[in-house]
Amino acid sequence: MAFIKLDSASKIYETAQALRGVDLEVEQGQWLNIVGPSGSGKSTLLNVIGGLDSLSSGNVVIDGAEITGLSEDAMAVFRRERIGFVFQQAHLIPYLNAVENVMLSQYFHSMSDEDEAIEALKRVGLGHRLTHRPSQLSGGEQQRVCIARALINSPKLLLADEPTGNLDRENTRIILELLKKLHQEEHFTIILVTHDPFVSQWGQRIITMEDGKIKCDEFICYL
Amino acid sequence: MVFSVAIGTAMAASLIALSMDVSSKVSNELRAFGANILVEPKIEGLADITGQKRYLRQDDIVKSKVIFWRHNILGVAPFLESEATSVFGGKKEHVKLLGIWYSKKLPLPGETETFEAGVKSVSPWWNVNGAWPDSNSRNVAVGVSFASRSGVKKGDSLKLDGADFVVSGIVDTGGAEDDQVLMDIDTLQEFKGLRGKVSKVLVSALTTPMDEFAYKDQTTMSKAEYEKWYCTGYVTSIAKQLEEVFHNSRVKPIWQVAATEGKVLEKLSFLMYLLCFISLSASALGVSTTMIMSLLRRVDEIGLMKAVGADSAKIIAIFLSEGVVIGIAGGFAGYLLSIGAAKFIGIKVFNTAFEHRAVLFPVALGSALFISLSGMVLPIKRALRIKSAVVLKGSE
Ligand SMILES: Nc1ncnc2c1ncn2[C@@H]1O[C@H](COP(=O)(O)OP(=O)(O)OP(=O)(O)O)[C@@H](O)[C@H]1O
Ligand SMILES: [Mg+2]
Repeated sequence: MAFIKLDSASKIYETAQALRGVDLEVEQGQWLNIVGPSGSGKSTLLNVIGGLDSLSSGNVVIDGAEITGLSEDAMAVFRRERIGFVFQQAHLIPYLNAVENVMLSQYFHSMSDEDEAIEALKRVGLGHRLTHRPSQLSGGEQQRVCIARALINSPKLLLADEPTGNLDRENTRIILELLKKLHQEEHFTIILVTHDPFVSQWGQRIITMEDGKIKCDEFICYL
Repeated sequence: MVFSVAIGTAMAASLIALSMDVSSKVSNELRAFGANILVEPKIEGLADITGQKRYLRQDDIVKSKVIFWRHNILGVAPFLESEATSVFGGKKEHVKLLGIWYSKKLPLPGETETFEAGVKSVSPWWNVNGAWPDSNSRNVAVGVSFASRSGVKKGDSLKLDGADFVVSGIVDTGGAEDDQVLMDIDTLQEFKGLRGKVSKVLVSALTTPMDEFAYKDQTTMSKAEYEKWYCTGYVTSIAKQLEEVFHNSRVKPIWQVAATEGKVLEKLSFLMYLLCFISLSASALGVSTTMIMSLLRRVDEIGLMKAVGADSAKIIAIFLSEGVVIGIAGGFAGYLLSIGAAKFIGIKVFNTAFEHRAVLFPVALGSALFISLSGMVLPIKRALRIKSAVVLKGSE
């Protein structure tokens, strides 16, 4: 059975219909990129899969668990057990340093472990920035802290919404190389939303959204 | 935020401090409105039928300071009533004589201290133009009405039953005394051959407001109940104790005074608690708004925490622990403030500082925690409603 399975997933807001019956299956360990014009429902799709948003109709099954209709708290538990998030904005807590920001995620998951947090930061190449505050880090470095934070609890699924949207080409490449390395080492599933054709070439599959539907679904060669 | 908790706490704690002391302070002040207990000779048997005059013993007066509630006896004044025929400027008149002490130091049995008895201690508003008559002279003071009717002036000589007296002052009390001739009680006793006798004694006592228990019939009380009643400073139990020390006496509360006082005190403490509650609520509201403001600056943070897997219990715990920290800090600050405030109010209103009470510390801490935690309720509800999907959305 597929790791992620969406069945005629629809999301209707008062002002717009963001998803119009999306069917999607994603295999365990796959790196899937979502592209498409602005407003086509990419973020909505990602949020629905991540349990940050609920469907108006249809079904989402992740890792064998039906998440449609779960309570908010059950959703929170589900997220912290299986999913890591990276956003376009770093969303780091400004008064905590890099290690503490990573530890926060551990704290909500189970117990904070500073050594483990430091190790995670070293793996994203930030061993020399451990006690820096977000404001003292570059955009690329902040995004790497986010990746460390997202992966600290060894999730099966990494959801990334425009993770390189604010970065220049050089930093974008660093982030993608890093994701690729971690993906190959740990075999988690990645779903990544992007505008950038350069970014969408990294991975194994691209789906193109348009007007709340999947318009195109292609497998590509894993760079 | 700590500041607004501190202010609220200070208000509440000083109000509570005030209300703890204010009853006693105010009833002290109210005592200026006159005696609340009257001691009279018991009228019984033959004396009643023949209308023969009965008296109390002057020696019993000091005993009012040996009863269980002696420290609550603020004033004692004996009076001796008599009559005489006065002659002034050839005009004859029948007048009432009243023997008083204005202010007399009595030795306390077995103690070196003295205690002040007399009109001054129960009716401080009695006013004399001139001097109060003293015990070792043949001075009298005449009431204003008597003086204006008969034309007597200060320094004049007045004949009473043929004996000569000198008018040392004109007295104004606003009561029946304004028509009478006042002299020292000892002078009157000697003059009328009533040595050691007084007609009545007025007592001004600090009392506990009458409650339901106080109105219970003492004859039906159990021993324990009676003991409790006896050892509570109700006007009735103090009266009972006075009756026990005044020989052949009947002691009655002067109800108008006692009841009014009780009511005033009750209303006052109700008002205090109301104010206290209002100030607590107001500052909780203050905390709530500041907290919501800071929450608005932190929606990102909270949205992120939720995305990372914080459930409502964790979010609540985070806010509550902030509330506790703010509460404790505010409690400390408020406590310090309230000490100053209570002192200030005490001096301003009652001319004496309020006692410092250790109880106030837990009270302050408790109110501060109440303020900050109840102020957190709304922000927490808001925080739980935050949708991370909306907050963390893409680019904006
Ligand atoms: N919370 C919301 N309330 C109302 N409408 C919404 C909400 N979130 C998204 N929408 C609407 O749903 C549609 C899809 O939005 P979504 O954010 O998924 O687009 P997107 O593909 O991520 O666009 P972008 O590339 O600009 O990030 C849009 O028309 C948007 O206006
Ligand atoms: Mg988007």
